[in-house]
Amino acid sequence: MAPWLSSGLIYASGLALTAGSITLLYIVTRTFNFAVASMATIGFYVVYTGVTLFGGLPYQYYPFAIIIGSITGIICYYGLNRRLLNRKAAEITLMMSTLGYDLVLLSLIQMYADYLTYTFKLFPRRVTMSLFDFEIFGERAAAFILPLIAIAFLTILHFFLTKTKFGISMRATIENPTLAGTSGINSDRVYLVSWVISGGMAALGGSFMAMAMTGTPVMGMYTIPLMFAGAILGGLGNIYGGILGGMVIGLTEYAGVYILAKNFGPWILGYRMGIPLFIMAATLLIFPRGLSGIPLGKIIKKRFGQKRGANV
Amino acid sequence: MLTVNNLNSGYGKLQVLYDLNINVPEKELTVVVGPNGAGKTTLLCSIMNIANVFSGEVLFDGEPLAGVVTHRLAQKGISYVPQMGNVFAELTVLDNLHMAGYMLSKSEVKDKSEQMTEIFPVLKDFIHRLAGTLSGGERRMLAIAMGLMKNPKLMLLDELSTDLAPIIAEKVMMEVSRMRDDLGITILMVEQMAKRALEIGDTAYLLVSGEVRYSGQADDLLHEPELCSMYLGIKQSSKINGGFELSVSDEGSENS
Amino acid sequence: MITKESSGEKFKGFIASRIVFVLAVIIALLAFLYFSRGISIILSILIQVTIFSIITMSLNLETGYTGIPQFGRVAAVIAGAFAVGAIPGRIMAAFMGLPAGAEYASDTVNFRLVPQINALLASSWLISLGFLVMCLVLAALAGALIGWLISRPAIRLKEAYLGISLLAFGDFLMWVGHNWSIIVGGSTPVNVPDPFRIFGADRFNVIVPVFFVIAILIFIYMNKLTQSPFGRNLRMLRDNDLSANAAGLNIVKVRTQSLVIGAAIAAIGGGLYVIYTGSVAAIGLTRLTFTFWPWAYMMLGGIGSNIGVFMGVFLLTILRTMIIIFRSTWFGFLLQVGIDPLWLEYTLLGAVIIIVILFLPHGLVPEKVAPMLPANRVKKVMAQRQ
Repeated sequence: MAPWLSSGLIYASGLALTAGSITLLYIVTRTFNFAVASMATIGFYVVYTGVTLFGGLPYQYYPFAIIIGSITGIICYYGLNRRLLNRKAAEITLMMSTLGYDLVLLSLIQMYADYLTYTFKLFPRRVTMSLFDFEIFGERAAAFILPLIAIAFLTILHFFLTKTKFGISMRATIENPTLAGTSGINSDRVYLVSWVISGGMAALGGSFMAMAMTGTPVMGMYTIPLMFAGAILGGLGNIYGGILGGMVIGLTEYAGVYILAKNFGPWILGYRMGIPLFIMAATLLIFPRGLSGIPLGKIIKKRFGQKRGANV
Repeated sequence: MLTVNNLNSGYGKLQVLYDLNINVPEKELTVVVGPNGAGKTTLLCSIMNIANVFSGEVLFDGEPLAGVVTHRLAQKGISYVPQMGNVFAELTVLDNLHMAGYMLSKSEVKDKSEQMTEIFPVLKDFIHRLAGTLSGGERRMLAIAMGLMKNPKLMLLDELSTDLAPIIAEKVMMEVSRMRDDLGITILMVEQMAKRALEIGDTAYLLVSGEVRYSGQADDLLHEPELCSMYLGIKQSSKINGGFELSVSDEGSENS
Repeated sequence: MITKESSGEKFKGFIASRIVFVLAVIIALLAFLYFSRGISIILSILIQVTIFSIITMSLNLETGYTGIPQFGRVAAVIAGAFAVGAIPGRIMAAFMGLPAGAEYASDTVNFRLVPQINALLASSWLISLGFLVMCLVLAALAGALIGWLISRPAIRLKEAYLGISLLAFGDFLMWVGHNWSIIVGGSTPVNVPDPFRIFGADRFNVIVPVFFVIAILIFIYMNKLTQSPFGRNLRMLRDNDLSANAAGLNIVKVRTQSLVIGAAIAAIGGGLYVIYTGSVAAIGLTRLTFTFWPWAYMMLGGIGSNIGVFMGVFLLTILRTMIIIFRSTWFGFLLQVGIDPLWLEYTLLGAVIIIVILFLPHGLVPEKVAPMLPANRVKKVMAQRQ
């Protein structure tokens, strides 16, 4: 496998999860979660702490990353988001509040990195996680494992949202919270669960991304525009769009840089951020509401007949 | 069962209802009629704490409902069927019924859903269709079925017959009547189709510009010619055979 | 039974007392700092306050008055910084017969060039003044250009999408500057000729009043702008763009004007910043410093109020400086576990944003709001009343 493809798959899987996290939270609570940046970074540091202090493979620490990510989300919900939702705050206010939370988390991450350096004589500020990986068929195992984990996660999520009572109630609340309330569905719980899932997804996504990029305390800060680009490309209409959008952004970044660098020289690398941003700009110019502006559902229905209500 | 005392409410800072007093007796069908913009929907929204209550109280079985969150109201046994947004368009009909029965046990949900498809056979045909693909009348049926799934003590119905073909509207009215007669549910119904509503109703309130202009037996309101023609578009033709002739109204024409 | 009549007099009195209180706190803190660390700290705080007041006032114009979610404030600041770093020096160099092309920005050339330019500047206050004015004019033009560029897509985009796009654009400009070394030297910062060199050791003592005067001029301009018919248009647009449109307001034109003016002013701030620091390091022009901190300043001060901006900037700049100064004395306990207390700056920034949103949503100096139902509320009411 070409190195850009294997790194690209790893990176894009992570970006897909974070973009999906942003999308999920947005469609449930109208909140653009800036704190995904730090939640992703936290996920990475949980895994880093695990492999450096306790040994083993990064993959065994993913459940911990998810849990801590979810806890971070719960704190944000109860401390901040819930109050603002009850106040019927504007979208910008909701987003700003998550920015504030993100900055506090960032400061804690930085302090944690300092602490690790001092106490354990580690170098957590420039981490190459892929060193901790193993090989399958001469390729980095992550290139196979991570997309599989992402797909598994997606499948479980899909099952949850379409076949379980609470999952369906989440979709009901997303569509019409008042009507859901009249059936006795507690929207507070729906919002809480969306933060739990989003937090976990963000942290997991960050752990993935760290396997392809250099792990730094500002890794999330650095890539947040890309995560948003993935969510926006996906159209913020349903979570699958977000995941797809993140995947596309991630792969085009790696593929694009590879192709451009080959043809125009290595100086392109400094501008790699520009590729996904360009895609996002192009998407928004043509479809100001992202890919959800395209009635994909209707097109699919026309070609394949009636869909069975799987829209989330 | 439900009492509204001196209610002043509206949306944001805009007041719509002024000093409203309504009493909904148990196991009866109470009808609220009136011209557009009178505040009929606002009344239901005020009971459900969707609208902004400035002052006054709403008592359900003696308990004040002030500040009670929507999902808790449902748990108390109040079932609200709004005029718009009364089904989950992105869910299947079956999922809609299941969601309506959210508070019931698994077997109860199953039984009641089947019951609903018996009462409303049209739902059985479309059980796996997205609710958004249903026609207006079918959606109303689904909405009422969802309202019934909750085993309600009190049902709040908002203008169920609007925009429906007359035959379907008639069917809806019959169902509502049946709910009171056979199932003993207390119903507060807001209606645009005043004449039919008053015919099946027990108590009636005429709401004009946010105030009660008439309260009493539904039958008696039908016999108030000025009120009927001024606000309800019902014109009395001859009193000899006690019949009515409809002039300009959204109820179609009917001779007696 | 509509709105509470807020008695004009009572409100004004309330605001005045708030302002007085905050000013008192600021003066007290400044006095404390003066007596513990001396005048140079005060000067550096004052310079920062002037620069960031200018930048935040521009943000206030676009976000506070026009309602545009300007998360890309850094872009205009960068435009001004780059303009000042790239052009005036080259003009002087060309005038002096020195290399003024692409090589101007290369580290070996620039390192030797700029002192020669400084020598020329230091010889004549007329040339220095001219140079300063040229810098500011170029910065403003660059900013206006960026503002105009942004306004093209900005018209079409919805709230949060716009905010994120602007944020991404700001990042992008920074990367361009960091990589394309012709502009400002890329990763090796280019030096900026110093129009204050003529004052020798008194450099900072002169910079403070000069920057202050510039900031005051901008403040006056802002106030005139917002009280003019244009300003009323802005507020009408912000509060209810549907009815503004119905009233015949050309939304596109008004928004564009706001973006262009805002960007020009922010660019002036950026230009002043690099003149003060003496060099342009693209990587240092981060969204954290030039977008997020200004947002915090504006939110604390009170969205829509320029006096509030000034106080927000002042108060928070003092607090930030205190964290830096008292790093080892007050926060020594952190150092003992190897944690650098400077990270507390981020904690402060985040905490200020959170606290203001939760408890002080109108900031220290709330704008006197004429009660108006916002558009989405009106729509909701219409929908529910059918």
